[in-house]
Amino acid sequence: MKDQSTHVLLIEDNAGDADLVRLRLVEGKNHVAVSCVDRLSDGLASLTKAPPSVVLLDLNLPDCQGAETFRKVLENSPDVPIVILSGQDDEVLAMKALNQGVQDYLVKGSITSSALDRAMRYAVERQALLRSLDMSRKQQLEFKNQFLSHVSHELRTPLTCIYQFVTILLDGLAGPVTADQRDHLDTILRSVNQLGAMVRDLLEASRAESGKVRLEPHCVAIPDLVKLAVTMMRSIADEKKVGLEMGVDSRIPFVYGDPDRILEVLINLTDNAIKFTPSGGSVTVQACLAPTDPDFVYLSVSDTGCGIDPKAKALIFERMYQDPNSIDNSRKGLGLGLYIAKELVTLHGGRMWVASEQGNGSTFSFTLPLYSLAKLLTPVIIHQQKLRDAIVLLKVDVKPRTKPARGNWKEIAQRCLEILQRCVYLDKDLVLPPMTAHGPEQTYFVVASTDMERVSIMMTRIREQIDKVADLKAACDLSLAAEPVKLSGAACTDPPEKQV
Amino acid sequence: MSRMMIEMVNELVNETKSEPAPKQRRTVMATSKILIVDDDPDLRQALKLRLRANHYDTVHAVDGYSAITQAHKEGPDLIILDLGLPAGDGFVVLERLQSDDRLCDIPVIVLTARDPQSSEQRVLKSGAAAFFQKPADNAELLEVIRATLPKSAPTLPS
Repeated sequence: MKDQSTHVLLIEDNAGDADLVRLRLVEGKNHVAVSCVDRLSDGLASLTKAPPSVVLLDLNLPDCQGAETFRKVLENSPDVPIVILSGQDDEVLAMKALNQGVQDYLVKGSITSSALDRAMRYAVERQALLRSLDMSRKQQLEFKNQFLSHVSHELRTPLTCIYQFVTILLDGLAGPVTADQRDHLDTILRSVNQLGAMVRDLLEASRAESGKVRLEPHCVAIPDLVKLAVTMMRSIADEKKVGLEMGVDSRIPFVYGDPDRILEVLINLTDNAIKFTPSGGSVTVQACLAPTDPDFVYLSVSDTGCGIDPKAKALIFERMYQDPNSIDNSRKGLGLGLYIAKELVTLHGGRMWVASEQGNGSTFSFTLPLYSLAKLLTPVIIHQQKLRDAIVLLKVDVKPRTKPARGNWKEIAQRCLEILQRCVYLDKDLVLPPMTAHGPEQTYFVVASTDMERVSIMMTRIREQIDKVADLKAACDLSLAAEPVKLSGAACTDPPEKQV
Repeated sequence: MSRMMIEMVNELVNETKSEPAPKQRRTVMATSKILIVDDDPDLRQALKLRLRANHYDTVHAVDGYSAITQAHKEGPDLIILDLGLPAGDGFVVLERLQSDDRLCDIPVIVLTARDPQSSEQRVLKSGAAAFFQKPADNAELLEVIRATLPKSAPTLPS
């Protein structure tokens, strides 16, 4: 710390205490600039405008008291060292402050000039050290993520080569294959697929950790996703002679989430359940509403497998955790699956937990937030300063003329969305997130508006715009329909009717 | 809605099962010419074997520069393009194809080791018809090739 540049911000409402501290500071040093404010709000403003070298903070201020005071300063300026000057000799509060990141806690009245000077200097030093540690930790994390991303990319090329040539042999493209040879090639192919899944998990986990997973939330029909997951897992379950059941109430409302990610979670849990269930057992995927938690859909995957050791239960969602008692060691993964699944659910605003009794199977459950028209519409309605009891929903249904490739359809849908956004009155109306289940045929968009007249103008504009783009016009059929929808107060959770 | 989806999955599963039966398809398959652009010789070889077994004619290019010259010389019906290439990466190739009147109508399928989250949208915005991450499932790739090939592509005389 350079003495000449020491700038102290004193946040203290008692004028007498403030003068005393100022005096002590000037006694101890020649080059200390002290600015003093008597309210937390002024202190926070000053911290943002010109960050000081150190903050001396009283805890009982006119606009904030106690622990809340340092919490707010920490939140506002996590990098500025804080020394509390308190009237109370409260050890519990002092420890709490230190644990949350305050540098020192001094009791007023017993402070000498040199003690205050030393406390401030050490606080600044410690804070600087912490910051550089934090920086290097972040750099290491970034390096690790780059490394993982690079490795998983580089592993893919040889992996692809093995996959290609094994399937070439298996398909008899290089000559006839004996039954034994086919068995061995199948084994290689299984291992290649397993390796591929590991490479993917590696990247996913590092991304989840660094918060780089992007969700593309849509209005999602859960029953369709559960059916898709069960269909996709059917062959693995059959192969192991494990029953795969499904219990889904088809009246479950839509949820607001990323269909690809939700499918990933369902498949991950189902795959795990099959893995830990012996032949003859069964796995059940369920989705329902719970009256205790009306804003969420409950999904669960239960098995009749070996169950989870109570000691392991706390560790099961940790990265790299692997069950040492796995009955099927041949299908081990990296131990990242549940970690990724839980991260994905958390990103959606849901939670994931497990209930299990050793020897009696396990149930993994998670929640996903319901798609709430009211919540999405709030900005439009509030923005216009008038709460209407009815709004107009314009349904824009875009159907491909021929079955397109998945990526291709994604792009067409994206372009339609861009056109829509150009056609609506941005300050008055709202394009809701695209409605889709899973697969290319179901994309449609909904524009919410408060005015039928405006909607009919919009419809004409949308038609004109899409007709202008030749390849878009050729690729998809467009249908537009507007209908007024009643909002029953603020809690309207009914999504627009499902279109088949 | 759900029935449609299950049908889709079934369709895919059935295709996977029936895929190694090229002989029966000989009479209906098109001999479209596909340009394979990849710097890895083994992968080029593998793709060539797979595509020829499905009665496609193949030519290849090993870098971004030769991709363009080959596209001019051979006039392929479709291009399978890697992204990480020497002498002009896949994006440069896409850009050149798009800006060339004689090449801009050739559909491009990108097949890369890169991760879809970082590349898929950019690839599709750059004019590619589809994106696949390596290793791509054979049946899916063949299905998309079939769907992407221009309808006017030459067919084998029966």
